[in-house]
Amino acid sequence: MSIESGRAAIELRGVSKRFGSVQVLNRVDLDVHRGKAVVLIGPSGSGKTTLLRCMNFLEEFEEGEIRIDGEPLGYSDDGTRRRRPEREIARQRAALGMVFQSFNLFPHMTVLANVTVGPVRIKGLPRSEAEAVARELLDRVGLGHKLDAYPGQLSGGQQQRVAIARALAMKPKAMLFDEVTSALDPELVGEVLAVMRQLAESGMTMVIVTHEMAFARDAADQVVFMSGGSIVEAGPPDQLFHAPQTERLQAFLRHFREGYRL
Amino acid sequence: MFDVVFRSWPLLLAATGETVLLSVASGLLATLLGILLALGQLFAARALRYLVEVWLYVMRGVPLLVLLFAMYYALPYTGIDLSPRVGGILVLSTYFSAFMAEIFRSAVLAVPKGQWDAARGIGFHGWRLMREVIVPQALRLASASYVNTMIMLVKGTSLVSIIGLWELTLAGRQIVERTLASFQVFGAVALIYFVLCYGLSLAGRYLEKRFSYVH
Amino acid sequence: MPFDFGFVVRNLPVFLDGLFVTIQLSALAFVLSLLWGLVVVGLRRSDSAPVRNLAAGYIQAVRNTPVLVQMYFIFFGSGMAGYPLSGFVAGLLALTLQNGGYVAEIYRAGIDSVSRRQTEAGLALGMLRRQAFFIVTLPQALRRVVAPISNQGVTIIKDTALVSTISVAEMTQAGRLLADRTAAVYEVFFTLALLYLLVVSIFSGTMRLIERRVRVLA
Repeated sequence: MSIESGRAAIELRGVSKRFGSVQVLNRVDLDVHRGKAVVLIGPSGSGKTTLLRCMNFLEEFEEGEIRIDGEPLGYSDDGTRRRRPEREIARQRAALGMVFQSFNLFPHMTVLANVTVGPVRIKGLPRSEAEAVARELLDRVGLGHKLDAYPGQLSGGQQQRVAIARALAMKPKAMLFDEVTSALDPELVGEVLAVMRQLAESGMTMVIVTHEMAFARDAADQVVFMSGGSIVEAGPPDQLFHAPQTERLQAFLRHFREGYRL
Repeated sequence: MFDVVFRSWPLLLAATGETVLLSVASGLLATLLGILLALGQLFAARALRYLVEVWLYVMRGVPLLVLLFAMYYALPYTGIDLSPRVGGILVLSTYFSAFMAEIFRSAVLAVPKGQWDAARGIGFHGWRLMREVIVPQALRLASASYVNTMIMLVKGTSLVSIIGLWELTLAGRQIVERTLASFQVFGAVALIYFVLCYGLSLAGRYLEKRFSYVH
Repeated sequence: MPFDFGFVVRNLPVFLDGLFVTIQLSALAFVLSLLWGLVVVGLRRSDSAPVRNLAAGYIQAVRNTPVLVQMYFIFFGSGMAGYPLSGFVAGLLALTLQNGGYVAEIYRAGIDSVSRRQTEAGLALGMLRRQAFFIVTLPQALRRVVAPISNQGVTIIKDTALVSTISVAEMTQAGRLLADRTAAVYEVFFTLALLYLLVVSIFSGTMRLIERRVRVLA
């Protein structure tokens, strides 16, 4: 395969992973195109979070490959599947922004320091420059007035927005969101989803694992339904939510409608 | 090179016996005193509780050696006829009971409040409540720190050598004065302490496993 | 026998000279223990199993032998080896070796208490493992261990009294000489105890302030 323009930003080919005897990912193929928002849905244990973590190489995978802008992630290019040196893996991870369910802000740093630590300590950006970028990003997520606060002084929704700004500060090629609203009180979910929606509209490439079906329907370019470690069905949101093809997706959506009213 | 140690072995062994005796006697006494102090801290009337607090604060803030010296120098003036050995045991147990008290107190406080409520709910109160419900749980919570404090106590017995009480460390010093083989002798002395203390921690770990709820 | 305050006041300079040495030794031993503990915990977490085991063995060795015997070993041993160390240096060395072992275990507990997710967040940003440790994990761990470190500091202050046995003129030694010279036994040991209490209280009070200052909201 040669690098060509127009190919997907993130390509997964035959990605398989097992934890002990459990096959958590089974030959997953997926293309995430530049500027698109792909939403992964599925029951818990379907492998969607593991798949997302593989895309940042926080999980290793035994088979298949993941390419970021054409470059194989985590393993070397020469076909040996040798793990890349740590520095290269770190560089590859830096190119992808990741936001976690539990925020994982650094509690000993102020909001501003959380957002500047990456650019300054990893990319070697001058502090003043990093701070200017951070201020702008924090303004964008509506927290320009909380620069000197510590994470523990913020609500969950505010912390998650800082986490998004922290990831964006690295100027990533794509953003990965791992159930970022699941740990939030219901009334705080909206503010985080609004930031993500705005981000999608600005043309950011995004992969989103979520249980927010309404958000998936409105903001996704493509919805991917996973079950049992495989992709069962994928397509535009209209098609998946209104004309599901497979038994399993129909059952999953029925279950959701009963619970949440879609 | 180590023949000094081998030749002095009977002496070292006898001195080890003395160290063990000091440790066991002070350990038992410190435990008893510690329980009393902890009870005082937890349940006594306010004035008494305050007194116990001050006492514990002083005991934790003053070096053991200073207490030993104070006993050693002051005893002749008091007219109390006490053998140095008994005096040493009293100081050691008084000093370490302060640490024991803190362990017991925090272990009792660490028993979840729900356990007190539940026990009262089924009719336990007073001494029976403590004995049947709280103490068994507190003992498990306290066991690790208790063993650590016991190890500190065994190590602490070495200080009585400074006021002339004959035990392992003083025996070591005497042998060194005769033979000048300080590395070998103090090495051997350290090794003996190690065996005693490490043995204690192994025993503690075994008991902890043996008596834990989760097997 | 009434308590003679005049005696205490007259001999205050003697106590203060000793106090100065006690504070000096305590401060040095405390700082060196904090640093040495950091080295030991680094070795304890090394990638090489022999290094790890060596560090674990070291910790067990110092924790299970009296600091007094370690002092004698170093002080008299160094003399026998032909490189006699002063009592102050030998005492400082023994205090650092012993307490560094305890401090290493305190650090280790602190490091283990920081969630793995924190490391992961650092790695996801693009940090190397080493960077994630020093930027993310260690600063949080250090903030959590201020209270146990403070207790260890109190132990160090009290254990400095032991160097009186290897002829260092610190406070306990000063008091003892005074007690030998005069008959003012109560006055001497009361003053000694009070001064130690004072030093320990100021130290732990300061550490409590630091703890409040660096505490991180959950």
